Amino acid sequence: MKGFLLSVRTKMLFVAMAHFMWMMTFGGHSVFANTVALYTPYPEITVPPGESIDYSVDVINNSGSIKNVGVSLSGVPDGWEHSLKSGGWTIGKVAVMPGEKKTLSLKVDVPHQVEKGVYKFQVVAQGLTSLPLVVTVSETGTFKSEFTSTQPNVEGHSNATFSYNAKLRNMTSEPQFYALRSDAPRGWNVSFRANGKQVSSVNVEANQTLDVAVEVSPPKKIKAGNYKIPIQAVTRSTSADLELEAAVKGNYEIELTTPTGLLSTNVTAGGKKRLELLVKNNGSSTVNDIKLDKRAPVDWDVVFEPNEIKSLEPGENAKVYATIQASKKAIAGDYMATLEANNPDVSEKAAFRVSVKTPVVWGWLGIMLILGVFGGVFQLFKKYGRR
Amino acid sequence: MIFINVTLKILHPMKFINQAKMYMSGMSIPSLTLPNTKATTKAEKLSTKVPHPFWVIVNKEVVDHIRSWRLVILVAIITIACAGSLITGLMHFKDSISANDPEGSFFFLKLFSASGSGLPSFVVFISFLGPLLGIGLGFDAINSEQTRGTMARVLSQPIYRDQWINAKFTGGLLVISVLFTGLTLIFMSIGILKIGIPPTPEEFLRILIFTFVTICYVGFWLNLSILFSVKFKQAATSALCTIAVWLFFTVFYGIIVNFIANATAPGQFASPDQIIRYQQFITNLMRIVPSQLYSDATTTLLMPSVRSLGPLTSEQVVGTVPSPLPLGQSLLLVWAQLTGLILATVSCFALAYYSFMRREVRSR
Repeated sequence: MKGFLLSVRTKMLFVAMAHFMWMMTFGGHSVFANTVALYTPYPEITVPPGESIDYSVDVINNSGSIKNVGVSLSGVPDGWEHSLKSGGWTIGKVAVMPGEKKTLSLKVDVPHQVEKGVYKFQVVAQGLTSLPLVVTVSETGTFKSEFTSTQPNVEGHSNATFSYNAKLRNMTSEPQFYALRSDAPRGWNVSFRANGKQVSSVNVEANQTLDVAVEVSPPKKIKAGNYKIPIQAVTRSTSADLELEAAVKGNYEIELTTPTGLLSTNVTAGGKKRLELLVKNNGSSTVNDIKLDKRAPVDWDVVFEPNEIKSLEPGENAKVYATIQASKKAIAGDYMATLEANNPDVSEKAAFRVSVKTPVVWGWLGIMLILGVFGGVFQLFKKYGRR
Repeated sequence: MIFINVTLKILHPMKFINQAKMYMSGMSIPSLTLPNTKATTKAEKLSTKVPHPFWVIVNKEVVDHIRSWRLVILVAIITIACAGSLITGLMHFKDSISANDPEGSFFFLKLFSASGSGLPSFVVFISFLGPLLGIGLGFDAINSEQTRGTMARVLSQPIYRDQWINAKFTGGLLVISVLFTGLTLIFMSIGILKIGIPPTPEEFLRILIFTFVTICYVGFWLNLSILFSVKFKQAATSALCTIAVWLFFTVFYGIIVNFIANATAPGQFASPDQIIRYQQFITNLMRIVPSQLYSDATTTLLMPSVRSLGPLTSEQVVGTVPSPLPLGQSLLLVWAQLTGLILATVSCFALAYYSFMRREVRSR
């Protein structure tokens, strides 16, 4: 595309030079200054890069006869597009009746990428006259975008979401449609938010800035350390990079469960039950000094063995035995006993459903009583029956 | 001699008793011997089916009971009452089911304890009318036979006295058992038909045990009335006495306990300990009444979420999860009540037995 444009520009350059040569060699002497004149109201203007300028050029015939004038442009800077039209047509020659004028419209596109400065070119009525035009480009035009963040480094746990605020600046002179993407390592999740919505591309007006929030969530089981997340805003013609940094701290996560995962048990009122517990470190840091605690009903007791775990590496698990003693006064049915494993960093609970059973001693007593009475009746039978 | 028993069967008990007399006294009756051995073995086989005289009397008792207008009327009343409670129970069944009910899996049992439209539940009806049935079956067991003079006649046959009173008791209990088992099963089956969901095995077991408790409870009143029928010579006296006892327990005892409760109520500033002790005392007073034992037992059996029958301290309640008790635990909870009921029944019987065995039976 660019190559094509270039080739068009070079062709135009050749054409313009050919005109110029022709004019120098043949047209120079035979010009009657007052026969045909070219007129435009603003021959000198100042524009920003990327602007398109519409000139209206009048061709005035001051002579007494019809003039058939070939009109062209010369000296147009390299890469500037232009067209000369009248009555809906692109024209090369214009015929003007005596004493009349014809209006042509000249359109010149100042390219985006242009140096600041004064540019001159002229409209030439071949062999007759020429109209010099001056365009001052107010600033240097660029084709650049900028993606920046004032705080590209964020620290957090691996289960946290890292939020960055970035600014995307469109420094070109036309609206740009940016695709947002990231080259985060595998397992990382990067999402962009603009104007309150999650987006994958944004539209930025020329010379405007848009706030883009970037949310990064690291993989669950990531090791502590600094991670770089390169993100990019890309259009067809321009792109901007930004490198964000996530400082992941190790997280603390423990789990309290039993080897089978069963969190219910039964116990006789006043009796004891020994349970095997498992404390797992599911986090990415070593957890130290885990204390085991209980939150049981009144008069219940839970003894842990051991009652403290000195240190637990990530991924390791430790076995703990808990002896639950139910209150003597506990009534039959289910109770909740909560066992806890905690240290200042993390705390985990396991709620046990404990079914309390009544001791069967009284049941046996009742059976003995019934048996005793039946024995008594049997004695009666023996003593008084069959006289 | 065996063959005679076979031929006579048990069509007429009195006749049979005459034969039984011969059987027991070892008299040989030479007639009706069959010629070939094959027939003999067949006859021997048949002879094993000859009932013991005890069962003959039981049989006769049962027949007497079933043919009496008294039982027909009592059973009709109980059946109508239970049908009423079943209909109201079914009508209000959906009200008694709530989403977060810990007894959610036992909703079939609710049919037995459901009440509505001012009509009490099945259990309440049984606890009220059951005693009447027991009393009706037993109040004239001994003394009416004595006044009619039939007892002396029967006992002059080779029938032991203990067999006589045991059979009286067994006959009555048999009628009660069949009646209540049948009633409960019919109640349950209509329930299944109407609700469309069968009871779970545990529910079925609970209902069976409930039936057993009901039989024990009615058996107590049966034994009490038999005891009175032994003690009093007039059937009317024993009937009045048993009814009086029943009325006392159902109506007046509650009033008396209420009176005692008011009199011994702890003051406004009593410690919780005192209040609990007082509550326990009043509950224990109430538990002297068989109907209280019965309602305690049936409530626990038919409502598995009942975890305690007495007052509870908050220490016992903290940390509890509302959940139904397993059947074994429910049984253990009401074991004392069950034991009490069974003991009361057996002791009444023992007393009746003792006084019958020691009394003079020949005179009218």
